[in-house]
Amino acid sequence: MKILVLNSGSSSVKYKFFDAVENVCHAEGQVERIGMGGSLLHHKRLDGDRIRIGVEATDHAQAIETVIATLLSRNHGVIADKTEIDAVGHRVAHGGEKFTRSALVTDEVKDSIRDCIELAPLHNPHNLRGMEACEQLLPGVPQVAVFDTAFHLTMPPHAYIYSVPYILYQRYGIRRYGFHGTSHRYVAAKAAEKLGRSLEEIDIITCHLGNGCSMAAIHKGQSVDTSMGFTPLEGLVMGTRCGDLDPALVLHVMGKENLTVSEATAMLNKHSGLAGISGISSDMREIEEEAAAGQERAVLALDIFTYRIRKYIGAYAAAMGGIDAMVFTGGIGSNSPLVRARSLDGLDFLGISIDTDVNTKCIGCDAEITSEESRVKVFAIQTDEELVIALDTKRIVSSFQ
Amino acid sequence: MAIKRIFIAGAGRMGQGIAEAAATAGIEVDMSDIDQSKIDEGMAGIESSLNRSIERWALTAGEKHIILSRIQPMMNIENAADPDFAFEAVPEDLELKKAVFTSFDEHFGDQTVFVTSTSTLSITDLAGVTGRPDRIVGMHFLFPVPRAAIVEVVGALKTSDETLRSAKSLAAQMKKRIIEVHEYPGFITTRVMIPFINEAAYALMEGVAGAGDIDEAIKLGFGFPIGPLELADTIGLDDLMTLMESLFRELGDFKYKPCPMIRRLVRGGRLGKKTGSGFLTYDSGEGGLS
Repeated sequence: MKILVLNSGSSSVKYKFFDAVENVCHAEGQVERIGMGGSLLHHKRLDGDRIRIGVEATDHAQAIETVIATLLSRNHGVIADKTEIDAVGHRVAHGGEKFTRSALVTDEVKDSIRDCIELAPLHNPHNLRGMEACEQLLPGVPQVAVFDTAFHLTMPPHAYIYSVPYILYQRYGIRRYGFHGTSHRYVAAKAAEKLGRSLEEIDIITCHLGNGCSMAAIHKGQSVDTSMGFTPLEGLVMGTRCGDLDPALVLHVMGKENLTVSEATAMLNKHSGLAGISGISSDMREIEEEAAAGQERAVLALDIFTYRIRKYIGAYAAAMGGIDAMVFTGGIGSNSPLVRARSLDGLDFLGISIDTDVNTKCIGCDAEITSEESRVKVFAIQTDEELVIALDTKRIVSSFQ
Repeated sequence: MAIKRIFIAGAGRMGQGIAEAAATAGIEVDMSDIDQSKIDEGMAGIESSLNRSIERWALTAGEKHIILSRIQPMMNIENAADPDFAFEAVPEDLELKKAVFTSFDEHFGDQTVFVTSTSTLSITDLAGVTGRPDRIVGMHFLFPVPRAAIVEVVGALKTSDETLRSAKSLAAQMKKRIIEVHEYPGFITTRVMIPFINEAAYALMEGVAGAGDIDEAIKLGFGFPIGPLELADTIGLDDLMTLMESLFRELGDFKYKPCPMIRRLVRGGRLGKKTGSGFLTYDSGEGGLS
C-alpha cells in the first residue's frame, strides 16, 4: 500500500511518500511560499536524486497538484500513475476533545476539524484545505486525519483542567490539550520494544525536543500528562517560545510596555526561549558553541533549558510513582548528548545512571544511553511522525476495505 | 482569491503604511513617488517602522527582511507590473489625485482596481476621470496603518459589487476589520473625530482646563485609549487642518471649521508629535506627555 503523507501549513505543504508495506519513504519534499508568488518545490528521492524548482502555487490545491505531478515525473518521480496512491494521510494540528485517535476523513470529520479552528487558527484551516484539495485531485482515494492532540486525550481531568474559573473550560474549551502526540506515541512504543516489555506494563517519560519542545508522562501506554497545554506555548523552554511562566508577568509587561495582545503574543512565541534568554540564537547548536566558549547568557540559556526538563522529569516520575524508561527525541533530543546529559544530571536517586561514552557518541542514532546497572533505561530514539501517520492511515484504510 | 500585487503612488506616511501592511500580509508592493528623495524617505520610514515593531517584539529580524523584500521602490510607473489594485496615496488635493488616476488609467490593464485613500474628497468625482468608474473604490486606512484595526471601504456612485467584494477581500487579507460606508465626506471616522478634537481645542482656548487635564478627563472618564488633543498631535495639526477645511468646504457646517488655536499652532510650526510639540509637548518620539 502506497501512502502520501501531507502536512499542510499556512504557506507550505510538506510531503512524504511511503510504501507502507516495506515502511520505506520513497520521496519527500515541500512546496514553500504558497499564494505568495515565487513558490518553490524541494523534492528528494530515496536514491538521492534532488530537485529545487520554481512552481506555480497560488493555493494549496495547486501546491498538492504540483506534488502529485512531481511524484509522477518521468525524471524525478516514483510512480507511473496516479492510481498508485492508495491513500493520503494528513497531519492535523488540533482535534479538540473529539478525536482520541486518527480518523478516516468524512464530511462529519471535516466538520469536527472545522469546529476546532478557534483552537488552532493558524493550522486547522490549512489542514482542511489540504484535504479538500486531495478530494478534487484524487477522487475516491481514502484520506485519514492524524491529530497532534489525540494521543493526550487519555489525560485525567486533574492533569488537563487549569485552576481558573471552570466556566472557561465549558465556554471556550480552555484546558490542556498537549501536542506532538504522534511523536510521543511512536517513541514510547519504540522504547518498550527496545526494553523487550509490553508498553501496557511500564511507565515512560518521553521528551520531544525540537523547534517546539514537550514532555509526556506515559502510564501503561496512555498519556497521563504533558507539558504543552492549551497552546504549544506552555511547558519547556523552546527555541523562541517561553514555556512556563507566571501569567501575571505577561499582564505586568503589557502594561509597562503598552503592548497590544498581538505584540505580547509575538513576544512570548517568537522572541523568548533560547533566543530571548541568550540574545544570540534560537538554535541549540549555536547556544552550545557559545556556551562552550564561555558566553554568559548562552550558558544561562542552556542551564534554564535543561533545568526545566529535569524538573519535569521529577514531576512526571512522581505523578506515575516512578518510571521504567525515558526517551529523548526531536532534533535536539536526538542530536545533543550535552542536553541529554545535563537534563539527567543528579538523577541517580531516581535510578538513572548515564553511560557517558555511549551518550557522547550517540548523535542522530537510536541508542540506550544508560549504563548496564541503571534501573531506569534512557533511550535516544529518532522520531518519525510521518511514518506514524502513514501506518495509521494504512491501518484505518485497511479496516474499511 | 488571494491578492498578489498592488501599486502605490505616493511614498508619504499613508503610502508607507499601506505598503508595510500589505507586504506584511504577503502582498508584493510597487511604491512610487515623484522624486528619488521622497522614495528613499518612504523606504527609510517603512524600515524604521519595522524596526520599532522588532523593538516591541511584534516582529523578528527575519520577518522584517522578508517584508522589505516584497516592497519595490520605483520612480517610473512604466516599470510597474500590472497590479490587482493601484492605490493613490498622494496629498488631499482633488486635482493631484485626478492626475494620478489618469496616469493609472493609461498604464494599467482593465482588471486593475483603483483605490483612493481620500477621506474628504468625492470618489465619484475622481472616478469620472477614468474609463473604469465601476472599478474605483475608496479605502480609508487609519494611522498607523499597520496597527490600526479597521479600514473604511467606500463605494462610489458607480462602483460595482464585484469591485467592492474584491476590496473587502484585500482588507481581510490585510487583517483589517471592514467598515463599509457610503460615500459621504468624512465617512465615519474623520467626520466624528473632527468635531470631537475641535471641541477639545475650543475648551482649551476658552480656558476650561489645561491640555493634559482635558485629555485625562476624556481618557479616564470614558475609557478612551488616547485623548482628543494627543490624537490631534498624533495625526499632525497641519494634516488635521487640511481635513477640517476640506470638510468645511464640502459640507459648509461651522462645526468642521478649524478652531483658531489649531491654526495658531500650525503657523507657529508646532505640528504635533512629528515636531515634538503641538497641544502637548513630547520627549523623543512617542508618548511622554508633559
